[in-house]
Amino acid sequence: MEIFWLLTFAVLLAGYFALEGFDIGLGVLLPVLGRSPAARDRLVGAMAPFVLANEVWLVALAGVLFGAFPVLEGRALSRLYPLVVALLLAWIVRDAGLWFRRRAGASWRPVWEGALTVGSAGLALAWGAILMAVVRGLPASPFDLPGLAAGAALLALLAWHGRTFAAWRLQDGPRRGGRALLLSACAAAVPAAVVMVIVAGHMLANAAPDQTLTVLSVMVVPVAPILVGAQVWVWRTFSKGALPTFF
Amino acid sequence: MDVAGLARLQFAVTGSLHFLFVVLTLGLAPLVAIMHTRYAITGNPLLERMTRFWGQIYVINYALGILTGLVMEFQFGLSWSGLSHYAGDVFGAPLALETLLAFFLESTFLGLWIFGWHRLPRRLHVACIWLVTLTAYTSALFIMVANSFLQHPVGAAEEGGRLVLRDFGALFTNPTLVFALPHVLGAGLLAGGFVVMGASAYHLFRRTQEREFFTRSLRIGVLTALAGSLITVAFGYAQFGPVGDVQPGKFEGLIPGVSLGLMILIGELIQFTVMLVLAPLLIRDLLARWHWLHPFLMAMTPLPFAAAIFGWLVREVGRQPWLVYGKLSVADALTPGLTRADVIASFAGFAGVLGLLAVVDYALIARAVRRGPGQVALGGADLPLAAEPVPAHSL
Ligand code: HEM
Repeated sequence: MEIFWLLTFAVLLAGYFALEGFDIGLGVLLPVLGRSPAARDRLVGAMAPFVLANEVWLVALAGVLFGAFPVLEGRALSRLYPLVVALLLAWIVRDAGLWFRRRAGASWRPVWEGALTVGSAGLALAWGAILMAVVRGLPASPFDLPGLAAGAALLALLAWHGRTFAAWRLQDGPRRGGRALLLSACAAAVPAAVVMVIVAGHMLANAAPDQTLTVLSVMVVPVAPILVGAQVWVWRTFSKGALPTFF
Repeated sequence: MDVAGLARLQFAVTGSLHFLFVVLTLGLAPLVAIMHTRYAITGNPLLERMTRFWGQIYVINYALGILTGLVMEFQFGLSWSGLSHYAGDVFGAPLALETLLAFFLESTFLGLWIFGWHRLPRRLHVACIWLVTLTAYTSALFIMVANSFLQHPVGAAEEGGRLVLRDFGALFTNPTLVFALPHVLGAGLLAGGFVVMGASAYHLFRRTQEREFFTRSLRIGVLTALAGSLITVAFGYAQFGPVGDVQPGKFEGLIPGVSLGLMILIGELIQFTVMLVLAPLLIRDLLARWHWLHPFLMAMTPLPFAAAIFGWLVREVGRQPWLVYGKLSVADALTPGLTRADVIASFAGFAGVLGLLAVVDYALIARAVRRGPGQVALGGADLPLAAEPVPAHSL
C-alpha cells in the first residue's frame, strides 16, 4: 500500500514537470519568442487550454503528500519554508498574468505579460532550489549557490521544453516534432525522477498507517480512470487546430 | 504579536480572501450550468449570451479562487506542521481526496469548458460545466468535512500521542458538518443571486440596450437569492443545536458573539427583503421597471459576502484556543522553529499580492459587468493557426 502511494506521488511529480514544464518554459520565453503582440497571443493561445489541466498535478501532489505522508508534509514544507513561499508567490504571479492578460485594457497587457514571464521564471528557479535542497537533506539555508545553480539549470531545461512544445503546437500542415516533444517532456521529468529515487526509502518509512491509506485507495482508485480520461480529453481537444483566445 | 498570532492572522486573512471568491463560485456555477443547458436544449440566442456573460463573470471570479486556494493548500504544512504530525493521518485524508477527486477534475473540466467553445460537441460542452459544478460542490463537501473534524474530532482515536483513523464514515456524519454544509452552500446561492441581481440592476438603472437580457437575469437573481436565503437561514438556526452540544460556550467571546449577531442581522434583513419585497415585485416585472429601487439592489450586493466572513469568524475564533477541539491547541500546532521574520515576510507577500490581485479581480468583474453582454471574450472566435505562420525553425 505504501508502495502504491509512493508511485502515485512519483508519477504526479514527474508528470507535473513533463506537462506544466512546458507552460513554465514558454512563459519564460514569451518575450523572446513573441516579439509582437500577435505572436505573443499565439504562444499564449497554444498553451492556454493546457495550463489548468497541467498545474493541478501539483495541487494533487500536495494533496497526496498531506494524505499519505502527513509527517513528511509538515516536516518538508516547514523546513523549506522560504522556498515554498517563493514558489507559491511565483505561481500566483504567473497565473494572474495568464488570467488577466486579456481581461484588462490593452495598456495593461505588458504588465500582465511581464507577470507571466517573471512568475514562470520564479517557478523554475524555486523548483530547482527545492529539488536541490531535498537532495541535500533539507539544509538550514537552502538559498545558496548550489540552489541557485540548480534553479538556473532547471530554467534552461524547461525553456527548451517550452520551445519544443510551441514548435510542435504552432506548426501548420503535416505534423512533425511529436517525438522531440516527447523527448523534452521526459528530459523535463528527469530531475524530479532522480530526486524520487533518492528519497523513496525515506518516504516509505514515513507513510501514513494502513487504515488511512486503505481509505484513500478505496476512494481514489475507482475514480482514477476519470482523472486520466479528463487529461486525455484535454489533449485530444486542444492539441491541433485553431488557437483559443480567452487567456 | 507573537509568532503564533501572526501565523493565525495570515491564515485568517488568506482564508477569508479565499472564501470571498469560493462562495461566489459555488453560487454562480449551477446558474451558469442551468443557463447553458437551456441554451443547448432550445438554441435560443439570448440564453447563449446569458451563458457567456455570466460564465465570464464566473470565470474571472474563479481565477482568484484558485490563486488563494493554492496558498491555503500549502499553509498547513508551512505554519502548522504540528497539525499534520498530530492529526495528519486523519485530517489529511479529506484534504487529499479534495485535491484528487474534486479540484483536479474541476480545474480540468473548467479548462475544457472555457476553451471548448466551437470545438466540443454541444452536449459534451454542457456536460463539462455540470462536471465543474459537481466537483466544486464535492470540493466544498471535503473541505467542510476537514474543517468539521477540527471542530469536533470524530472517527479517530489517540495512539502514542497521535490521532489514528478509526471510522472514516463518521467524518461525514459529524454533527458539526451536517447543518454547516447546507448553510455554506445556501450562502453560495445567496452570494450568486445577489451578484446577478446587482449587476442586472446596474444595467436596468442605466437603461442600456440590454433590457430583456437583464430583466430575465434579475428574475433569476431574485429567485436564486430567495432559495439561498431560505436554505441559509433554516440551516443557520439548525446549527445552534449541535454546536451547543459539542462546543458549549462557543459564542461567548467578543469576536464570535459580535460576528454571530451581525451575521444573523444581515441574514434576517436579507430574508425579509427578498421574501417580502423583491420576490413579490417580480410580478409583472415591477422590479425591473421601478428604476428607483435599482441603486438599493446594487448597494446590497456585498451583504452576503460580509455575512459569510462573519460566519467564519464565529466558527473559527469560537474554536480558540483549540486547533483540534479539545485535543490540540493552536500554540502546540505551530511549526517549531518558525521565526517572526519568516512569518512576517510570508504574510506580507501573501496578503500583499493576494490582496492586490483580489482588488484587481473585483475591478475586472466590475469592468466585465459594465461592458455588458455585447463584449464578452468567453466563447469568442479562435485565432486561425495559419494566420501568421511561425515556422518551427524560427523558434
Ligand atoms: C438568520 C441567519 C443566520 C443564522 C441563524 C446563522 C447561524 C450560524 C451559526 C450558528 C454559525 C456557527 C456554526 C459554528 O460555529 O460551528 C454560522 C456559521 C456560518 N454562517 Fe451563518 N447564520 C445566518 C446567516 C448567514 C448568512 C446570511 C451567511 C452568508 C451568506 C452565513 C454564512 C455563514 C458561514 C460561511 C459560516 C461558517 C461555516 C458554517 O458554520 O456553516 N450565515 N451561521
